[in-house]
Amino acid sequence: MKMIEVCNVFKSYGSTSRVGIKELIVGKRIIKEGLFSRKWALEDISFSVDAGRSLGIVGHNGTGKSTLLSLMLGTLKADRGSVVQRGRIGAMLELGSGFHPDLTGRENVFLNASILGLRISEIRAQFDAIVDFSELGSAIEQPLRTYSAGMIARLAFAVLAHAHSDVLLIDEVLGVGDASYQKKCEDFFLRYISNGGTLVIVSHDLVTIKRLCIDGICLHKGKLIEWSSINSAVDCYKKLSTCPQQ
Amino acid sequence: MLNNSLMLPQWIELLYLLVIKELNIRYKRSILGYFWAIANPFAFAFVYWIAFKFIMRIQMENYSVFLLTGMFPWTWMNQAIIQGTGCYTNNSSLVRRVKLPKLILPLSNVVQEMIHFVFAIPVIFFFIFISGCLTHPLEQIWQIPIMLVIQLMFVYPITILFGLLNVFVRDIQYIVGILFSILFFATPMVYPINMVPEKYRIYSELNPLFPLIESWRGILIDGVISFSYIMNIMIWSAALSIFAALLYRRLSGKIAELV
Repeated sequence: MKMIEVCNVFKSYGSTSRVGIKELIVGKRIIKEGLFSRKWALEDISFSVDAGRSLGIVGHNGTGKSTLLSLMLGTLKADRGSVVQRGRIGAMLELGSGFHPDLTGRENVFLNASILGLRISEIRAQFDAIVDFSELGSAIEQPLRTYSAGMIARLAFAVLAHAHSDVLLIDEVLGVGDASYQKKCEDFFLRYISNGGTLVIVSHDLVTIKRLCIDGICLHKGKLIEWSSINSAVDCYKKLSTCPQQ
Repeated sequence: MLNNSLMLPQWIELLYLLVIKELNIRYKRSILGYFWAIANPFAFAFVYWIAFKFIMRIQMENYSVFLLTGMFPWTWMNQAIIQGTGCYTNNSSLVRRVKLPKLILPLSNVVQEMIHFVFAIPVIFFFIFISGCLTHPLEQIWQIPIMLVIQLMFVYPITILFGLLNVFVRDIQYIVGILFSILFFATPMVYPINMVPEKYRIYSELNPLFPLIESWRGILIDGVISFSYIMNIMIWSAALSIFAALLYRRLSGKIAELV
């Protein structure tokens, strides 16, 4: 069963430079075309992810990886083409999104898990397991502003790991954790996939992504240039890195 | 995608957690904590009561009570709409990075301010009591929940509208503030409608905020609910809801890109 189907998707952010009162008076500044200026953020992207598979997305900065994840999550809408999702989707596109620094770890767990679609009764039942997984111990009662980035990542990931998602979308956020925690996350992902979960992950850590994923896609300047096994996607990305103007 | 009706209880819980979050953030770091929820409106009301009882002695019977019964519902609406205007622009991480029913954010602003208003109700009744206006306590109290729902349904679509428009034109947040200071004096709220010259009275009658505030006064002071005023507000609510729904359908897809 296909959990995510992306069909001929085009996405552009339009011209975001707005004409404000300053531009009207001073006149518009002409900006030279740069590395990241192109018409389409994503251009004619098609691929799908089957249940129980894991897909790694590689590509340079600003090539549309995060935009693609947002389209799969459904927070962004494609200009053309279609994105179809099945099942409950859990996402970690940013470190600690939906967390508030003045709330305690406990309060943030409830809010965050509810955003991910859990009922309060389910959160209560799993609360101890979530804290155990994060290894935060008594720090869970402290306000989040006292946490380090690694601790926030631990908490966010612990919640996500208990959200019973059918599909997980992860964007380059695991790097902040320490070695033992990264190992824990990897083990969780491997277990999750073998239990039938579907994983889509964006990372520049090519070693980890090869360990976690079966399939891979490589994006370049908004175009999908490779969709096959993770090894060939990574090879393709490495080739681009040696001659980026290709 | 899961069926919407199945998601409803989950959304209610999410709304509850979002509201609790805002209340916690507001009060938790102060020493007196939730005590401020009632101390703040009390201090506010006390200042007005003193000012109009002993200093500016307006020639109107129980003007302090008249003022307070109008000011508290006004503050709820005013605060909900002004804060709700930023509900998307100030929560970019919730809009962009997580899948959330987007209409829940303005609703949480309105409900949160409603709860502040509910905390102020005992304060209002304290001043009604000491002014000797607690004449029909039962009627004055039992109709409050009806008015809460009516005002919620009126304020919510307005908050959606401004919240949405502010995503596209950020100047809206400043304009809303100015708009409400104009309406503060343009609505017969700090003064009774019979102070408005006859020929301008029609404009006051057209202003939907007037029947809203008058209904609160009718209930809180006299224990009488006016059906014509209620009908007037409900028609406005229905029209605003349709307008908000149409605009939301048109614009909601673009929110995540622009905040």
